[in-house]
Amino acid sequence: MKNEYIPFPAVIEDVKRETFDTKTFRVRLQDKELAGLFKYKQGQFMEVSVLGEGEAPISITSSPSRKGFLEFTIRAAGRVTKSIHNLKKGDLLHLRGPYGNAFPFEEIKGKNIYFIAGGIGLAPLRSLINMVFDNRKDFKHIKLLYGAKTPDELCFKDELDTWKKVPDTEVWMTVDKPCDGWGCRIGVVTELWKDTDVHPENAVSIVCGPPIMMKFVTMKLVESGFKDKDITVTLERYMKCGIGKCGHCNIGGKFVCVDGPVFSYEQVKSLPHKEGAF
Amino acid sequence: MKIRIIKKEDTADLLKEAAKDWDVYAPQRNLGGDIWFDVLPKSGADLDKALESIVLDNTDTVISSKDAFFPQLESLFRFDNNNIQEAVESSPKLLFGVKSCDLKGVLFSDAFFKRNLEDKYYLSRIKNRFIVVIGCLKPPRPTCFCTSAMSGPFAKEGFDLQLVDYKDSYLVETGSKAGEEFILKFNKYFKDSPRDSGKAIDEIKSRSAESVELKVDFQKALELMGQESFIPEENYKRIGERCVYCGGCLYVCPTCTCFNVFDNIKEKSGERLRNWDGCVFEGYTRETSGHNPRKEKWQRSSRRYEHKLKYDYQLTGSSGCVGCGRCLSSCPVDIGMSKFIQEITEKRMIV
Repeated sequence: MKNEYIPFPAVIEDVKRETFDTKTFRVRLQDKELAGLFKYKQGQFMEVSVLGEGEAPISITSSPSRKGFLEFTIRAAGRVTKSIHNLKKGDLLHLRGPYGNAFPFEEIKGKNIYFIAGGIGLAPLRSLINMVFDNRKDFKHIKLLYGAKTPDELCFKDELDTWKKVPDTEVWMTVDKPCDGWGCRIGVVTELWKDTDVHPENAVSIVCGPPIMMKFVTMKLVESGFKDKDITVTLERYMKCGIGKCGHCNIGGKFVCVDGPVFSYEQVKSLPHKEGAF
Repeated sequence: MKIRIIKKEDTADLLKEAAKDWDVYAPQRNLGGDIWFDVLPKSGADLDKALESIVLDNTDTVISSKDAFFPQLESLFRFDNNNIQEAVESSPKLLFGVKSCDLKGVLFSDAFFKRNLEDKYYLSRIKNRFIVVIGCLKPPRPTCFCTSAMSGPFAKEGFDLQLVDYKDSYLVETGSKAGEEFILKFNKYFKDSPRDSGKAIDEIKSRSAESVELKVDFQKALELMGQESFIPEENYKRIGERCVYCGGCLYVCPTCTCFNVFDNIKEKSGERLRNWDGCVFEGYTRETSGHNPRKEKWQRSSRRYEHKLKYDYQLTGSSGCVGCGRCLSSCPVDIGMSKFIQEITEKRMIV
């Protein structure tokens, strides 16, 4: 029987600073055989360990369409993530997984796609975004609506520029507190509705961000005519095991780690409101 | 099914012999006077002493037998630099004197740990286990409500052997092939029972069931809980105001299986461990950012009752409450599952 709790080593190949508290770690599984067999889906997460410090669930930000490595974008927030930030190229991380379900991909082909992200919420979406771009012809118009507290806190700045240049693609940004030379909107993500049309026709929206942002964005999408089933979110919960056992991520009868983290807004609405999906 | 009989005075010798092949767990009275369901030493004077401390008749074990398969603290693996050594424990276990309500809790947990991705630690511990149930002649706790929860006072299935207290002996029912083999292996202790013992067992069982005085409308509670938002928030808020969030009810509960995972390290070597955790604690759902989806006390109270009586039942067809009554008997402010059920089914304020 496979022991799901035993992590396997992965070598850090590259560390890229995204913001003052966020870095992207590119890793490769140390065991070549395992690396050859390893597969994951867009939107899944892994349990990432630093032995002796602990383990944290981190979404895979790289796209399954780009093989041979894995990327995790991690904000130094707690004990484990702070200790991951102390690691450098050549050091080891320990991984378990991948766990959880995936963002829809086949189901959204031929559609207009609205990616809506807040802060580091862009990290889980990036897996699907790059997968969509790697199959660009299969999708219609793409818009990314992205908000952060300050311009410094926007992640993936190089890629935001690259994505802008892809045909039939728009990137709209907003920040709460601008700096000198900020040329985009100021305010919360839903303010971007003033900059660009958000049309439900033949469209799906995929949302990730802090709970309060998800709450207002989903409300705004419904107001704009999106059906509940055409809004997809990915949820974050305190989590320990990743395999539906430890109980921490339970919402109603669902485990975010197994039944999620990706849910349609239709599913989210069926979860007990008092347990606060977001 | 053939019924056997074993003299009460022979059980110590039987367990002493069984301890050679199994880790034997039995209810033992400790120095403080409480009864714990704990493992016996393997041999020697320690074993003899422990055998003397076993209490089988009408015992109120503080914690259910879940600890044998899901220890309060267990090692998942050890590490030294980056070398990882799995710490799976799989020695065969014989649980002697399990109550029928606790057996139901064990069976419930078995199914839970098999669901989704399997939990190797739990499943290794239950492999090669042997369970001897002892029925209750009268409820060991005044808070027992097993007849309402359909979990006792005698088990109907899932045991290897079941003991029925009968004068100076136990009548022994066999519930599995392993049970038959056990009786053959230890045939010097087990004799054929008197011809009328089937009838005697029936009488004892029905008399025992009648002795359980606390009755609640369990089925009605499950139905009501299944209705969307049936329980007003005020009910949970009232419980939330009284609850001191000590977590006692979680630890004693036969079906509570939530856990935390953490590392313990000294220099470069250490281990990853898991220990019991529970949904009533404020930190249980608190995220690193400080955001806590179940910040309010009443949300955690609601979680506990709805998990046991609503979601477990919806997902598995059996409720997460087995009617053992320990949550109430251990509660410092007199809150418990039976009182909650009475409150919602009888529409009166009890909790």
